[in-house]
Amino acid sequence: MKYLISCLIVFTALTTSAQKFTISGTLKDATNGEDLYGGMIKVKELTNVGAISNAYGFFSLTLEKGTYTLIFRSTGFESKETVVELNKDIELKVELDIPKDVQNIEEVEVKAQKENENITGSGMDVTRLDPKDIETIPVLFGEKDIMKTLQLTPGVKGAGEGNAGFFVRGGGADQNLILLDEANVYNASHLLGFFSVFNSDAIKDVSLYKSGIPAEYGGRASSVMDVKMRDGNKKKFGMSGGIGLISSRLTVEAPIVKDKGSFIVSGRRSYADLFLKLSKDTSINQTQLFFYDLNAKANYRLGDKDRIFLSGYFGRDVLGINDAFGFNWGNATGTIRWNHLFSNKLFSNTSIAYSDFDYGFNVGSGEDGFGISSSINDINFKQDFDYFLNSNNKMKFGVNAIYHTFKPGELSGGNSSFNPIVLDTRYGLEAAAYIQNDMKIGSRWSLMYGLRYSAFNLMGDGTAYEFDGNGVLTNSTEYSRGESIALHHGLEPRFSMSYILSENNSIKLGYNRNLQYLHRVTNSTTSSPTDIWVPSSNNVLPQLADQIAIGYYQNFNKNMFSFTGEVYYKALQNQIDYRTGASNFLNELIEGEFVYGKGRSYGLELQLQKKKGKFTGWLSYTLSRALRTFDAIDNGREFSARQDRIHDISLVTMYNLTERVALSAAWIYYTGDAVTFPSGKYELNGTVIPYYTERNGYRMPDYHRLDLGATFYFKEREKFEHNLNVSIYNAYNRENAYTITFQEAENDPTQTEAVQTTLFKIIPSITYNFNFK
Amino acid sequence: MKKLALLFSCTLLVFSCQKVIDVDLNESNPQTVIEGNYTAEDSTVVVRITNTSSYFNSDASQTVNNADVTITDVNGLTTNVPFVEAGIYILENYAPEFDTEYILSVQANGETFSATCEMRTPVLIDDITYEFFPSIFGADAGYAPFLNYQDPADQTDFHLITLGVNSKEWSELTDILQQDDALVNGNYVERPLFGRSLFEFGDTVHMHFRTVDEKIYSYYGQAISNATGGGSSAPGNPDSNWDNGALGFFSAYSSSRKSVVIE
Repeated sequence: MKYLISCLIVFTALTTSAQKFTISGTLKDATNGEDLYGGMIKVKELTNVGAISNAYGFFSLTLEKGTYTLIFRSTGFESKETVVELNKDIELKVELDIPKDVQNIEEVEVKAQKENENITGSGMDVTRLDPKDIETIPVLFGEKDIMKTLQLTPGVKGAGEGNAGFFVRGGGADQNLILLDEANVYNASHLLGFFSVFNSDAIKDVSLYKSGIPAEYGGRASSVMDVKMRDGNKKKFGMSGGIGLISSRLTVEAPIVKDKGSFIVSGRRSYADLFLKLSKDTSINQTQLFFYDLNAKANYRLGDKDRIFLSGYFGRDVLGINDAFGFNWGNATGTIRWNHLFSNKLFSNTSIAYSDFDYGFNVGSGEDGFGISSSINDINFKQDFDYFLNSNNKMKFGVNAIYHTFKPGELSGGNSSFNPIVLDTRYGLEAAAYIQNDMKIGSRWSLMYGLRYSAFNLMGDGTAYEFDGNGVLTNSTEYSRGESIALHHGLEPRFSMSYILSENNSIKLGYNRNLQYLHRVTNSTTSSPTDIWVPSSNNVLPQLADQIAIGYYQNFNKNMFSFTGEVYYKALQNQIDYRTGASNFLNELIEGEFVYGKGRSYGLELQLQKKKGKFTGWLSYTLSRALRTFDAIDNGREFSARQDRIHDISLVTMYNLTERVALSAAWIYYTGDAVTFPSGKYELNGTVIPYYTERNGYRMPDYHRLDLGATFYFKEREKFEHNLNVSIYNAYNRENAYTITFQEAENDPTQTEAVQTTLFKIIPSITYNFNFK
Repeated sequence: MKKLALLFSCTLLVFSCQKVIDVDLNESNPQTVIEGNYTAEDSTVVVRITNTSSYFNSDASQTVNNADVTITDVNGLTTNVPFVEAGIYILENYAPEFDTEYILSVQANGETFSATCEMRTPVLIDDITYEFFPSIFGADAGYAPFLNYQDPADQTDFHLITLGVNSKEWSELTDILQQDDALVNGNYVERPLFGRSLFEFGDTVHMHFRTVDEKIYSYYGQAISNATGGGSSAPGNPDSNWDNGALGFFSAYSSSRKSVVIE
């Protein structure tokens, strides 16, 4: 590693002639003191020289001695210019104001943050969303949801009707790394996937990396979704919230010490069960069905060089019928972070994060009751450095170690007929080190190159099993606590480069290799909290993805419109699926139920976006394939993955009708999912059984839907603002197929029929939002 | 898990709807389907041989009437299973030897198929008890029977269970309930059984408790899931004990039966 660093430094230290000084500092929102991430610092006198603020608002820029005009810019804020006389190192604290006419923040940019950052940035395209920008986009039940809005962008496909889960560029749903303030979120959805765990009120920013994934991220094969929680208002007390059909939200934020520290607490709870209590039927009024989320974060600045953050998330779904049956699951995460400035060029962030996902059932109560539980938890240590070497080179390097504890399943029998079962707990150490440099060469070329080395050590105690090709147990070995069962490791190179053709257009190329050591295998239509995470082992190899992508970016009409076109090819190795008839319930031999194969996906993504004006939005089109090959499935014939939706179109429009009324519409169309339908039938026991000839050889009907929304802003007072959001999901009442089942006709068993289930027909909803300033 | 999904579905039912639709399905080449049952309690082997048909074809399945069917016991003694009618072949008075394997061989459609299955010693029902269940989610209240038996500790056991009421037997594939001893090995098991509906006061409840081998148990699980539409996004043909690609199964099984009047 040392060798690598010195190589990089030699390589990057191109010029050292003239006397140089460093301008460093922080960029903040003047209204509430929140750090501005991705803000741009430009030097008027020099072309293609500048800096971008990091996730903590920190920036650093090293220039030759002289007088410069610095321009500070961030989406949704007024730009600011400062003239500096650079004859020594300078520290700046810059606060940007929101334009006075708040209703005119029309730059809804789902893409690049700066006016032409999409053209000039070195990395491949990152999809960034700010919850503020998407609040008018209509969604199911009026529940704002960043994960669902992400599905409207090219290359991201939803896991099904109303579902918050997603697939990126043909990858599996388990191949997305979902981070909430650095902590891993294992199950990012509530209620079988209909709502994401991210309460928009508590979220500052979401970045989705589909290709050219920076070396600091690892552990998943297809994408990284990095969610950052808000820091809380550093200037004054604020309270905001909303009342919707499904849930209500309340957020409180305030300074701890003005301009030094702040906190935010945000809660959300669904309340369908409160209506069930009104029923006279005891089986209904004793039914529990709800979820809740609690986000909390505090930060405090200790002097000029140090800052501490504490953040936590706790969310749960609870389902139950009096004492007869209970089922609950949820995530808990906690992060402690320490920012330290070693110098005006070296920024350090140290994080310790904890995350936990668990579920539990209990059936019956008292003597005959029994329960089942399972959990996975992580302790994650991460040390990252941002080194602003000079105005042309910005390095990042660091280390990461995650200690996983897997408890795949446990049955506690009480006095019931069941024997208690405890599947072996497994421990895993996932460690990585990375280094990356973001480099500008001349005024047109930028390069980002990095390397990540990762390793995973699976440890006992317990029994490890070996299986033959048919999943038959051949051998078993006992391991003691901490003894290594299997060690996997590998290098993950990351690379991207861009060439600026002109101020208005550029081309970019990216390559990344990602290793994934944990896998979630599922074969059901809906995402279920009981889908277990399986670590790589002596049987299960790490998933490996190689992706290459090329993009063309063009802005026109003074950056009012932007066009993005990307093509990609992705190869996936060591993909996992269940064997026919697999049983995954408290099965200690689960690894014998897996079959392994490979996959590939490729596609073309086009997006045209209008970023300014009264009328904003985007049109995106994706042409793509997602294919898999398993020796054990269809004799090794390549078949379509479920998410192989060939054509995918999203049209999202927002229109500010007047200062008080904002209208929005979203239309979605995609090729139906690849599915397995019968090509024949036979009878057994007098019952018709479907006969299948190939995996995913058929298609669901094409999916399309229009959603409409309107937001009415009431007259704003000095201390209070409020609005009413009305939306209609599936406005033209399209009966999209959620499932198609083949069965005997209900009233004539000699006939067979196909029955389509539509989950959501037209659904109007209404949400009231308020904000005490 | 399926029940859980169902419960969730119920809560979403307010918004969802179902309808019968037209789907264009491919025609597949007819495949041989062999359903072989050797029941210990009446010492009879019944084999039904048919071909698959296209899915929406409403005619009765095409039967195979000129097959050669034989059963071979553990001593290598082969007995012919004669053709009776419409794809059905029956051998009677064929006494079982418990805990031994039988091989059923079929020559049909120009191919030879064989399947092996172990005839297990029956595990016996000890008692049927019952309990009153109040109305839940609008369903009628009634009695549910409890299966009571002693699971043998020294072996793994697999069972299929069907219920009946008065003169009716609920014996369709989708009525079959499954019980293995993965979680209850060696225990005295008391398990409530829920059939098509709960039972009323005065009903006679019949219980048929079969002991099958592992492969058959797994086959039924998959076939039931396929017949009910299942929850799988990638269903496949059940893993059969027939070699050479025939569909269906050969099951040699023993039974225990009991009845009780709810009073």
